Amino acid sequence: MQSPVKIWRNQEKLVELIGKTGTIVSWTLVRVPTSGFSEAAPYPVALVRMHGGKMIMAQVVDTSPGSIAFGTHVVTVIRRVRKPDEDGIIPYGIKVRPV
Amino acid sequence: MKHQPTNMNVYVTGVATTKFGELWDVSPRQLARQAVQAAMKDAGVHPEHIKGLFVGNMLSGMLGGQEHLGAFFSEELELFVPASKIEGACASGGLAVHAAFNSIRSGQYDTVVVLGIEKMTDHRPEDVATALMGAGSEEERAAGATFPGLYAMLARAHMRAFGTTEEDMAAVAVKNHFHAGKNQNAQFQKEITIEQVMHSSRIADPLKLLDCSPISDGAAAVVLTSQKSKIKNQKFVEVAASAVATDTLGLAQRKSLTELSATKRAGEQAYTMAGVRPKDIHVAEVHDCFTIAEILALEDLQFAKKGKAAEAIRNGEVTLGRAKHIVINPSGGLKGCGHPVGATGVKQIAEITEQLRGTAGNRQVARARIGLAHNVGGSGATAVVHILKM
Repeated sequence: MQSPVKIWRNQEKLVELIGKTGTIVSWTLVRVPTSGFSEAAPYPVALVRMHGGKMIMAQVVDTSPGSIAFGTHVVTVIRRVRKPDEDGIIPYGIKVRPV
Repeated sequence: MKHQPTNMNVYVTGVATTKFGELWDVSPRQLARQAVQAAMKDAGVHPEHIKGLFVGNMLSGMLGGQEHLGAFFSEELELFVPASKIEGACASGGLAVHAAFNSIRSGQYDTVVVLGIEKMTDHRPEDVATALMGAGSEEERAAGATFPGLYAMLARAHMRAFGTTEEDMAAVAVKNHFHAGKNQNAQFQKEITIEQVMHSSRIADPLKLLDCSPISDGAAAVVLTSQKSKIKNQKFVEVAASAVATDTLGLAQRKSLTELSATKRAGEQAYTMAGVRPKDIHVAEVHDCFTIAEILALEDLQFAKKGKAAEAIRNGEVTLGRAKHIVINPSGGLKGCGHPVGATGVKQIAEITEQLRGTAGNRQVARARIGLAHNVGGSGATAVVHILKM
């Protein structure tokens, strides 16, 4: 499932996305995760309205689920996305943390 | 020579649904055979009448490793006609009906079978959740989102905008379990209470287990035809409209989080095509994959004003035996009847056909003559609306 080519291709885009700020417009706490995410569960996932108007969806890290609210200010950070598969490639991606 | 569009009328002439549920002792081949043979018997047609096979399915490749489903089921059913799999996530069934409808309307084929089928419980829930996320966007998969999670975010936006409560959502599940209790093929044939929904385990806050449609196995089949005169069966229901709309795969790219725009657009197209208004519809099967989804559907299909659907559901205004204008999800919906994803859209057509024929037994909606079926793929990236008339 995890293609090294795809991961490599997407790396360039990641750099541009780090350190951007926005506010949470909706969120959930995922308790029954998909494959590769069980170590992190339960984890919050949010829709974030970035300054500039674009919306993104990302996992919220470095927080307790109870402290997330409408309008919570967050910043994008780079983190490991999911557990590496048998090939051992570590997929990185964008998550958000409160500021 | 100028090409003349044919625009044949399209009729549903045979329908069947298998039992929905955890069917560990039944194979996909057996499910398909059961559904298609019963639908053909209901229609009074024989294999030589069938000119095409449309298979609605989402997960056969990702879960079962089997693709090429058109030929696969053509072989199993011994039809050996033009056959293809139609995939549009949880709207695969509705899309297959749409493709079949177009094939008849255009005059290409005169009689075809649509099979909707899914086998989900052979696999680990975690694998099923991962496979279902194939319907979402790459960004959503990387965020670790699940389908309950996506609808949970829609639910929270709706709660904030319109004051919708968790109890309001629970009322959808209570109603649909009440209806499913009257449906022998339903996965859940027992009533539940608001308290049971509220105390069920949390899946993706604010959604709980009993807000979610289950993982299910099942199949449904319908026979569509333009040949009213050649088939002896007198039970013809006309497909008055078949409309599809699409939207962004991911929620983050949507303009609004409190509606599914694809449902609104497909609905409007279907009403225009059929020449009916929302208030003319007597019975509807809508896509309640999660309780919030039924609330959104009632609003987006204009059965209720924006922000008012939850109140209507809670007050019993769309419940069998209590409804004044329209009954929603008499089959039990996805929540009560079960949700084998590729089968659901076809099952909805089968249910509305039974309702319009007056053969729905103890879940019959009185004097139902115009019905609507609403099938959604993903978190609203595909919506299919059919309107049927007796």
